[in-house]
Amino acid sequence: MKEATLRQILVVTDGCSNTGMSPVAAAALAREQGITVNVIGVIDKSEMGEKGEREIREIAEAGGGLCDIVYPQQLAQTVQMLTRKAMTRTIHQVVNKELKEILGDSGIEELAPDKRVQVAGMVDELGEKSSLNVVMLVDTSGSMKPKLSAVQQAIHDFSISLHSRSGKSRMAVGSFPGKHKYLDIRIPWTDKVEQAHQLTSDLTMSGITPTGPAIVEAIALFEQDKLPSSLQERYRDEAENDDMNGSLRDHVF
Amino acid sequence: MSSKAVTPDLPKHFQGKWNRRSYHVLRELGRGANGTVYLVSQDGVRRAVKVGAEGMDILMEVNVLKSIQQGRDSKVGPLLCDVDDLVVNGKPCTFYAMEYLEGEQLDRYIQKEGEEWVPVMIVQLLARLDVLHRHGYIFGDLKPENIMVSRTDKTVRLIDFGGVTKLGNAVRQFTEEYDRAFWHAGDRRAEIGYDLFSAAVMMVRLTVGKERWKSSQSGPRHTGLLCDIIRKSDSLYPYRVPLLKAFHGKFATAQEMRAELLAVLRERTVEKPQKKASAAAGKAGGGISGLFVASLLLLAGTLYYAWFM
Repeated sequence: MKEATLRQILVVTDGCSNTGMSPVAAAALAREQGITVNVIGVIDKSEMGEKGEREIREIAEAGGGLCDIVYPQQLAQTVQMLTRKAMTRTIHQVVNKELKEILGDSGIEELAPDKRVQVAGMVDELGEKSSLNVVMLVDTSGSMKPKLSAVQQAIHDFSISLHSRSGKSRMAVGSFPGKHKYLDIRIPWTDKVEQAHQLTSDLTMSGITPTGPAIVEAIALFEQDKLPSSLQERYRDEAENDDMNGSLRDHVF
Repeated sequence: MSSKAVTPDLPKHFQGKWNRRSYHVLRELGRGANGTVYLVSQDGVRRAVKVGAEGMDILMEVNVLKSIQQGRDSKVGPLLCDVDDLVVNGKPCTFYAMEYLEGEQLDRYIQKEGEEWVPVMIVQLLARLDVLHRHGYIFGDLKPENIMVSRTDKTVRLIDFGGVTKLGNAVRQFTEEYDRAFWHAGDRRAEIGYDLFSAAVMMVRLTVGKERWKSSQSGPRHTGLLCDIIRKSDSLYPYRVPLLKAFHGKFATAQEMRAELLAVLRERTVEKPQKKASAAAGKAGGGISGLFVASLLLLAGTLYYAWFM
């Protein structure tokens, strides 16, 4: 448990996917590989349709994560909170499983509240100290355009939150749809996002929202994560030479 | 699963699984990020009960409430009365019961009673924070909504301990308006300075009122914006030095900031009557009596403080 790395995908979207594989199935696939999927729906004045809301909920459920629907102003704090809560949850599940093995059938729920308070303190500490890798997937289909400056702010802000943790944390940012593929890598794995980074420049605005395929490609980003450091360096270089776009597309698909 | 609003509806009556105490639900008091708080009656005594979907989050709050109650300085927040489980729709749910604090949210209180109460309340708040800090925690999510002015003795109490973070860890929960990182004045590591920054922003926000505050919120944020507001406000200007020091993390303890605010406040209370003549047009009376009450309260507060420290 000491060296545990928590892996999360965070989807920021404002509507329904309409292209490719079901995002719910993609989220289930991620969870299968130990990656939690969280979803944030961003809405303007207009409400998110019932269908969109349901999809967001289903993605998070299948991905073992959490979801929320917020206005652009609340985005930054929601990103941090969802990430932290999902982390606590994952660790809780792991601790619970281990406890079950030690105690037999009963897990944390069967402990008296006094004892559980102590477990909670431990879970909190583990959450603070463990490594965390997060891929943020930003929906950049046409309707998201007015919300992108808030998203950009939230990305930078999230980087500060990660930086403030005791454990190692890294993040990567992708946008979907990409120029030629479903997902473009906007920011490769990094432990600090500079404020100057412009998400809005060089964007393809389009009507398609390939949420499912984007999640599948994001899963691949975590595999890259596992490469030996020498190879990782090569990936990073290529990503930069390639104008931070599509570092994955040639290698994965 | 959603991150909030998933608190299941409580049955009208329920009994704790372990300690077997019975509760009768009276009404909902409010919702926090971790759960919902209800007003209940337990054997005829009114209590507040917090229930949340994620048991771990609730238990972490219990952890903090417990550790700050080990001393005599329990005035920081509500007293913890019970921790237990209840079953809602066949699912076990963790809850805790605490002392019911009757009072008003700080911003509503100021709106009703006048902005001259702001420094008085902030000074009180800093004394509470100091206690929390000395136990090794920061409050984190400091905002008017999480501060209560008690009805009977007009003292400030902190409620909602969901953001309370161990010194050195990453702040668990925050609200952008009062968040140091969002104002580009530092990161989100739990330090005493993080709380003091929020306290200073809150002092500005409470003094200028909602409208003025909202209009300053557009565009990129930096503490320069806050300084502009302070410069233009007659009520804030005298406090510019301690406020700026808080923005820039120059105070080592809440106690230090408290002492500096207090010094300004005392000075102001003394010289206000002469100044009143020139500024009389703007304000409709009541200021002096208010300030008199304020200074009495402060004296009481200082005595209380001196007594326990």
